[in-house]
Amino acid sequence: MTPLGSIASAVLSVTPWRLERRLEVDAKRAALTRIGGAVGAMVVVGILLLLTGRNAFWIFWEALDAIFGRQRGIEGVALRAIPILMTALGVALSLRMKVWNIGSDGQFLMGALAAVGVGIHLDGPGWLVLILMAVAATLAGAAWMLVPALARAYWDVNEIITTLLLNFVALQLVTWSALGFWRDKEAAVIQSTREVPFTLPGLPGADSVTVALLVPLAIAAVLWWVFRSTTIGYEIDTIGGNPRAAAFAGIAVRRRIMVVMLFTGAIAGLGGMLQLSAPGAQAMNAGFSAQFGLSGFIVAALAGASFWGVIGGGIFIASMFYAGIVLQTKGLSVYIIFAIYGAILTGIALGEIAARYRMVRRGAEDREAENRDADDRGADARDADDTAVAVEATAGDEATQGARP
Amino acid sequence: MILAIIENAFLSLIGSAIPASAVVMLAATGAMLGERVGVLNLGQEGLIGIGAVYSVIAVLSWGVESPWLAMLIGMIAAAVAGLIFAVCVVAFRASQVLVGLALALGGIGLSNQLGTNRNGTPIQTLFREVNPGGVLDDNDAVSAFFFHDPVVYIAYIGLPVVLWFVLFRTRHGMNMKAVGENPAAADAVGVSVTGWRIFYSVLGAALTGAGGAYMVLSFTPTWSPDIARGRGWVALAVVIFAGWRPGWAVAGALLYGSMISLDTTAQARGWGLPFMGASDLSFFLSMLPYVVTLVAILIPAGAVKLGRRVRSTAAPAALAIPYSREER
Repeated sequence: MTPLGSIASAVLSVTPWRLERRLEVDAKRAALTRIGGAVGAMVVVGILLLLTGRNAFWIFWEALDAIFGRQRGIEGVALRAIPILMTALGVALSLRMKVWNIGSDGQFLMGALAAVGVGIHLDGPGWLVLILMAVAATLAGAAWMLVPALARAYWDVNEIITTLLLNFVALQLVTWSALGFWRDKEAAVIQSTREVPFTLPGLPGADSVTVALLVPLAIAAVLWWVFRSTTIGYEIDTIGGNPRAAAFAGIAVRRRIMVVMLFTGAIAGLGGMLQLSAPGAQAMNAGFSAQFGLSGFIVAALAGASFWGVIGGGIFIASMFYAGIVLQTKGLSVYIIFAIYGAILTGIALGEIAARYRMVRRGAEDREAENRDADDRGADARDADDTAVAVEATAGDEATQGARP
Repeated sequence: MILAIIENAFLSLIGSAIPASAVVMLAATGAMLGERVGVLNLGQEGLIGIGAVYSVIAVLSWGVESPWLAMLIGMIAAAVAGLIFAVCVVAFRASQVLVGLALALGGIGLSNQLGTNRNGTPIQTLFREVNPGGVLDDNDAVSAFFFHDPVVYIAYIGLPVVLWFVLFRTRHGMNMKAVGENPAAADAVGVSVTGWRIFYSVLGAALTGAGGAYMVLSFTPTWSPDIARGRGWVALAVVIFAGWRPGWAVAGALLYGSMISLDTTAQARGWGLPFMGASDLSFFLSMLPYVVTLVAILIPAGAVKLGRRVRSTAAPAALAIPYSREER
C-alpha cells in the first residue's frame, strides 16, 4: 500500500464531513455557486498579494473606478469584450454537447489572418471588402476546426489536445505572416503585417467602439432561440446529456458533433475579423490575440453554457482584463493575470461541486438515514396491508443497505 | 556515400533530439502515471513551469550547489501544486478538465511572476554529462546516444522500464490499473481509490516538475518566461500516441524531439529550399513539431477505425471520471 495514499485516505475518513449528492441541481443555485467560487478565488488571490505587500484590493478598486467612471473606460471594456464574447460563445456552444474547444485562440487567429489576406489584397468598395473579410474569417475559423472535428466525431479522438496543439500552429503561422510573407516593410518598430485600409462604422455616440459590438449580442440571441425553440437545439442538448441515449433516439450524433464543432470554430474566426476591423487594430502581429481564447473559455465555464450568462460573464472578464492593464502600471507583471485566471477557474470548478453536492456531517447523516428508513417502513405498512409480505422484504433490504458503512 | 550522409544526418538529428525532448519524456511519464489511475492532469504545462522556476530559485537565491538537490526542490514544488489539484479533483470531485486547465494557467502565471527578476541569468549548477571514458570519441557515429546527462538516461530508460515492470508484472500495478479501469471493483477488494489516485497524481506531478527542472539545469540552461513552450501539451499528446504504454512514449517523445532539432539545425545552418528561402523555411519548420504531434495522435485512433489494430490504444476506462462509492 502506498504510504501517502493511506495517509490521505485516513485523513479523508477522519474528517467529520462527507459529500452527498443533491437529488436535483437547481440552475440558479449552480450559477450563484459558480460566481461565488470565482469571487472567492479572487479574494484569496487578493489576500495572497496583500501578504506580499501589495494592496491588490485597493489597486483593483481604483482600476474599476477608472473604468466605470468615464466613457473611455467603458469603451475600453467594450473593445475587449468583443473578441472575448465571440470566443466565449463558440466555447459555450460546444459545451452544450460536452465538447471542450480549447483551441478558440487558434481559430480566432486564423479568422483574423484570413481577413488580413482578403483586406490587403482586394481592392473595392469598403463595405464589400469587409463582407468578404467576414466570410473568409468565418470559413477559416471553421476550417481550423475541421481536423479536430473529424477526429472527434468519427475517430473518437479527444478534442482537448488536438484543438490546443493547433493553437501553437496558428501562432507560428501568424508570426510567419507578420515577419515574412505579408510583412509591412515600411513599419519600423513593431513587426506586423500590412494594414487593412477599411474599418467597420462606429456605433453612434461612441469614440472607438464599432458596430462589431452588436455581432456577439446577435449571435447570443440566435443561439438562445435555437436552444429554446428548435429541434436541432434540443438534439444537441440531448447529445450533451447522454450521447448513447441520443443515438438510440435516432439522432445522427457524429454528424451533429461535427457540425457544432465547425460552428464553434466559425464563431471564433469571425471574432478575429471583428477584432481586426476596429480602428487602430488593422494589422496583425504575433501578439494579436492577447489570450482572448483563454479568457473566452473562462467566460463560458463561468456562464455554464448559458448564452445570456456568457454576455454577463464576458463583461465581467473584460473589465478584469482592462483592470489588469491598470494593475501592470502599478508594479504587477502581466503574468499575474494568468495566476488570477487559474484561481478563478478552480473557484468555478469547486462552485459547480457545491451546487451538485452538499456537505453532510457523517454521524448526523447516518442517524437521519436510519430514521428515514424507519419512517418509510411505517408508511409502507400503513398504505398496503395486503402486500405486507412484499413490503417486509423490501424493508429488510433497505435496513441492510442502511446498515452498510 | 549517400547512405553514410543520410545515416550521419539521422544520427545527429537523434543526438540532439534526445536531450531536447527529455522534458517531454519526463512529463509524459508523469501524466501517464496519473492517467493510469484515472486522473487526467491537463496542467502539465504549469507543472513544468513550477518545477523549473523553483529549481532556478534554489540555485540563484538559496545557493543550492547540487543539481540533484535543485531538481528535488523543483519536484517538491510541483508535487505541492499537484496535491492541490488532486485534492480538488479526487476528494472534492471537481471537473478534472477545469481544474487541470486552471493548473496550467496558474502554473504558467505563477512561474513567470516568480521568474521575472531572473530572466536570462545563466545557471552554473549543471548536470554533468556521462562520459563513457575513452571508449568513444565525440565524432563517433554512436556518440549520438552517449555523452548525455544522467537525467536523460533515467527519463528514457530507467523510468519506462520501472513503470512497465510495475504496471504489467506486479500485483501493485494490477491494482493501479484496476483503479483506473474499474474503480468500483478496486474499491470492493479493499484498494482505497481516493488514496491511490491522490498518491499517483502527486507522484506524476513531481515527475513533470523534474522535467521542468531538467530544462533549466541542463537544456537551456537559464530561466526565460513561458519556459515550457507547449511541451506540457505535447507530453499529453505523447501519452495518447503511446496508448498509455511507457515504452511507446519513448517513440513519441523522440518523434517530437527530432522535429524540434530539425528546426534548430535548419536555423543554425541556414538551410533553404529552391522554392522557399531560409527564413521562410525556418518559420515553416517551427510549426512542424506541433503538426507532427497532432498527426501522431490521430494514427492509433485512425488505425483502429480502419481495422488495423496495431496495439491496444484505449484510454483507461475511468479516465477523468470522479469516483464515489455512493454513486457507482
